[in-house]
Order: sequence, then C-alpha cells, then structure tokens
Amino acid sequence: MSMSVLSPRTRTVFAKEVVDNVRDRRTLAAALFYPLLGPAMILFMIYAVSQISKESEGPLELPVSGREHAENLIAFLEQNNVTIEEAPADPEAAVAARDADVVLVIPEGFGDSFTSGKPATVELVVDDSRNEARQTVSRAELLLYAYGRQIGDNRLKLRGVDPSIANPVDVARRDVSTPQSRAARILSMAPYLILVSLFVGGMYLAIDSTAGERERGSLEPLLINPVARSELVIGKAGAVLLFTTVALVETLVGLSLVLNYFPLERYIGVRMTLPPSSLLAILLICIPLMVFIVAVQLMIASYTKSFKEAQNYISLMLLVPAIPALIMAVLPVDESLWLVLLPTVGQQLFINQILRGEAVTVTYLILSSLVTFGAGVALLAVVGRRYRTEGILFR
Amino acid sequence: MIAFDSIRKAFGDVVALDDVSFRAEDGKITGLLGPNGAGKTTALRILYTVLEQDAGAATVDGFDTRRERQEVQKRIGALPDAHGLYPRLTSRENIRYFGRLHGLSGAKLEANIDELVTLLSMEDIAERRTEGFSTGQRVKVAIARALVQRPTNVLLDEPTSGLDVPSTRAMREFIRRLRENGASVVFSSHIMQEVAALCDEIIVMAEGRVVASGTPNELLEQTGKSSLEDAFVAAVGSEEGLS
Repeated sequence: MSMSVLSPRTRTVFAKEVVDNVRDRRTLAAALFYPLLGPAMILFMIYAVSQISKESEGPLELPVSGREHAENLIAFLEQNNVTIEEAPADPEAAVAARDADVVLVIPEGFGDSFTSGKPATVELVVDDSRNEARQTVSRAELLLYAYGRQIGDNRLKLRGVDPSIANPVDVARRDVSTPQSRAARILSMAPYLILVSLFVGGMYLAIDSTAGERERGSLEPLLINPVARSELVIGKAGAVLLFTTVALVETLVGLSLVLNYFPLERYIGVRMTLPPSSLLAILLICIPLMVFIVAVQLMIASYTKSFKEAQNYISLMLLVPAIPALIMAVLPVDESLWLVLLPTVGQQLFINQILRGEAVTVTYLILSSLVTFGAGVALLAVVGRRYRTEGILFR
Repeated sequence: MIAFDSIRKAFGDVVALDDVSFRAEDGKITGLLGPNGAGKTTALRILYTVLEQDAGAATVDGFDTRRERQEVQKRIGALPDAHGLYPRLTSRENIRYFGRLHGLSGAKLEANIDELVTLLSMEDIAERRTEGFSTGQRVKVAIARALVQRPTNVLLDEPTSGLDVPSTRAMREFIRRLRENGASVVFSSHIMQEVAALCDEIIVMAEGRVVASGTPNELLEQTGKSSLEDAFVAAVGSEEGLS
C-alpha cells in the first residue's frame, strides 16, 4: 500500500475527483460556503448576548396598576431606574398573552395596611414558564424586597432597635459573569462547529466518488482498469481530504476574523483574541481527525447502495460527536484519558482548551492523535478490503 | 486470446454458470448468444475481473483473471452492461481518465482519443460535458474510453442495446475493424441476426450452460437445420428471450 500512495494512477484518480467535483455546485457549496456558517453563527450569538446584557443594564419598564395607592413605593422605584407604565386593563390576560413580562398590582387597601403597620400586599403578575421574562421579573422582585427591607429598617430604627438584629444572615450576591465570560461560553461551541465543517467539507465528494459512482454505473467500468483497488481508495480519500482541509482552513480563518478583526469590544466590552499560534495548533490537532472523518465517510459511502442512503447515514454521524459535546455543555467533564482517546471527543476538548488559552496536556494530545490517526487508517483499510470484494459492485 | 475453462459461478442457490468453457481466438469475433439470464453477462464479468468464479479458470493471453488481475486488465478493453459516465466531465475528459489509468499520457494519449473520436463519428460531442447525452452518444463514449489503450482483447456486453439503426450499423462496422486489427473480440447479444452477421465463432448459451458452439456452418451441421435461426432455437430449446 505504501508503494501505491504516490503512484501515477493514484494521482490520476485524485486529480479526476478534484476536477469533477469542483464543477459540482453542491460539492463546492459544501466545501466553500457551509464552513463560513460556523463563524457567522458565533458572531450572531455574540451580538445576541450583547443585546441581552444591554437589557439588564437599561431602565426597567414596569406596568403598575393602582399606583395611586402607593406613591412612596412608586417614588422609590423611579429612583431605582424603573420607568412606571400604565398597566393593561386585565393584567393577567396581558401577561398570559405576552403583552407584558410582568405587571405590578397595588390593591386599594395597600395604604391602610401600610400605615397601620401590617404587612401590605402587592401582587406581581408573572408567567413562570416564560424564560425570556425571568430577568425582568427578578429585577422587579428584588426592588420590591429592597423597598420592604428599607421600610422595615426605618421602623426598627424609629423604635431604637438596630436593624441588623433582624438580619442574622446577610446574603451578598456577586455576579461574576461578565459579557466576556458569557461570550466565552458561546466560544465553547466553536470546537463542534469546526467538527461540523470537517464533516461537511468533503461529504458530497466522499459520497459522489463511492456510492454515487456505483449508482450512476461508472464504478464497474472504472474497476476494469489496471489500477489496484487500494490506489483507487487512496486517490479518492486524498481528494476528500483536500476538500475537508479547505473547509477547515476556511472555518479557522473565519473564526480568527471574527475574534481578531471584528470590533467585538463594541458589543461585549472586551477583546477576545486568537493568536496565529493557536490557529496553527488547532490545525495540527485536526490533521489526524480529518483522516479519521474522511475514512468514516468513505466507509459509510462504500457500504450504502445509493447517494441518498449514504447522505442519510453520514448526516446522522454528525450527531454522534455532538453527544459528548452536549454532555460536556451540561456536566462538567474533566479530561479523563478514556474520554480524550475517543476520536472527535478528545479533539473538541483540546480545541476548547486552546480557545480558552488553557494549557493542553501534551501526552494526552499525542496519545489522542495516534489513536485517531490509527483508527482512520484502520477504517481506510476496511474500505480497501471492501473495494477488493464483488460486494462493492453487486451488493 | 481468451480461454474460459470449466467455469462455475453461483450466487447463493442460483447457479449462473455451470461448467462453461469456450475460447476466443485473436483476429476473430466470438459471439455469446442467449436469452436474458443465460449467463452471458456473468461470463464477461469474470473475464473482465469484477467477478470471481467458484471453480475453473479463465485466462487472457495466458494470464489468470484471479491471480494476475492487473496483467489481465492491461490486456483487455471492456464495455460492461453499465455505461455510466461522469456527467460533469466532457467526452474527451471521460476517455482521457481511463487512458491515464492505463498509463498513457501526452500526445500519444490524445492521438488515440482523436482516432476513436473519428472512428466513432463523435466529433460533435467530444468536447461537450456528457450530462444529458442520448443512449447512443453515451455508448460511443463508453466504448471509446474502454478501448483508448488499444487492447488486444475486447469484451463487449450487448454493445448495440438501445442504439438506433444507424448507430447499430456503425457499431457493427467498428467491431469488424477491431478484428481487422487483430484483436480477439467477444461480444454478447440476444439478437440472432446480429450474431449471425458478425461472428466467426458462436457460443450459444442457455440457463448457465453452453448448449452449442462453433462456426455458423458447424452450428448448422450440429443441429441439422438449414438456417442459423432455426439452429439457435433448436440449441436453446425455445424461442423465448431471443430476437
């Protein structure tokens, strides 16, 4: 097999597949256009996050029903960056219909209870199932508690009692999440997006050159030529690898443009950088991964009967490496050896570490690369064996 | 020179070829005649190395199709049942691809292509992408790419199937030319007239066996019939599947 790697026949197969597929709009779109979607998505999400942060800093718009019953409370709210709005006629219906996030209802008896020193009730009309309203609701809640506490403290003071005696536990909450850390969470999607571009870049070529070739009836004539089956497989794998590499480079360039040249500080207040050395490291980490992914695609495409069938299976394969990524997003997973050794999983971990500027365990990286590369070569050998059987044509 | 000796091939329980033997000499046209399902395509596929027999031996110029596959492939040009082309490549590029895989390149390869383009009257389609070609145009490109290396052994599976009358006549003329150049030509057909008109040797097959073989005259003698048509029907046992 090593003899055939650079044989003229292998190069002929490689060149033909490249020329043929460059002329295919679908293949070209997959290699050139889809990889840009990842960086574009990251850009969009950073923008979305910056909008959410703005919301939490702007004035709180609060519809209030019965404001005439509690002028003091209204004044307190207005001092605390709240814009009081006219309440809808039916607050419950308005919240249920999503016309308002939250409505403050001050009942008629509020003033009487208040002056007589009894707990005075106000109502917040909310819909707890609405995630997007949660931030507004909790801001309103916190302000109302703060108001109650301020009044309580004053009452104690009037009676000559230190207010702190009523506060045995003081919970100080410090939110350390910054726009930057929220943006970094978005960046943790990047490894999977890189992985997706690796799958998509050469996908159509992998299918076209195998299942597609069989489906259109050109595989049988091709196999009659004096070319070793391994030469065919290596030539085709090389072409798929080239398209995959193009997709990867494009994703990395897009990512570095977003992080290094787009004025991110305008949106999230800080710069995030991806130095060339990190880009190079990601590229190197991806080399064995690309061999593995190309092999997986060729194997699927050589065992499926039609273009469509191959496409279905390969698209499903995209979800498999997403599973560990999803688990990692929910559960904190440390880099344990068995996890790192799984092809696609380990690389996602390493790329994540590099993006965060953390140190990568070199021994793990080497082991993972060897295992992934080895698995890829083994799968290519399976494809080669498949090509040597009658089954490649007739079953 | 092609030799097929006591070949047996089964797909599961279905015996496609049962002890089939024949020879195809250089400078002669050998026809495999038989109804669909007789085993013609299976026999050709074993010869052009995409199937392997269960028993017996097939050789091309003395090279074994199983043990010396690449040597055999270098010496044959085959038109399989499947005529699939690369639709995004031009006719010339389709042909050139196969020529390169045979180790040809440069002026020699282009000269071979030009010759085939002229011989098959495909000047008008040579530089066009093959997407949307008619059956006739497709067969021409498929034949040209199969023969671009000028093989001495030519295997054609139903080469006239789907062609119109002028194309069929041109194809028959082309097959005669191959014989004149000294090649050993084997082609399969279920059309009696075609085989009768072209072949020096005829192998009549039915249900995976050779039921009669020889020159047209020998076949008449063997069956005791006065016309080749009657001889074929007598050999196959029924008219079914022949035309």
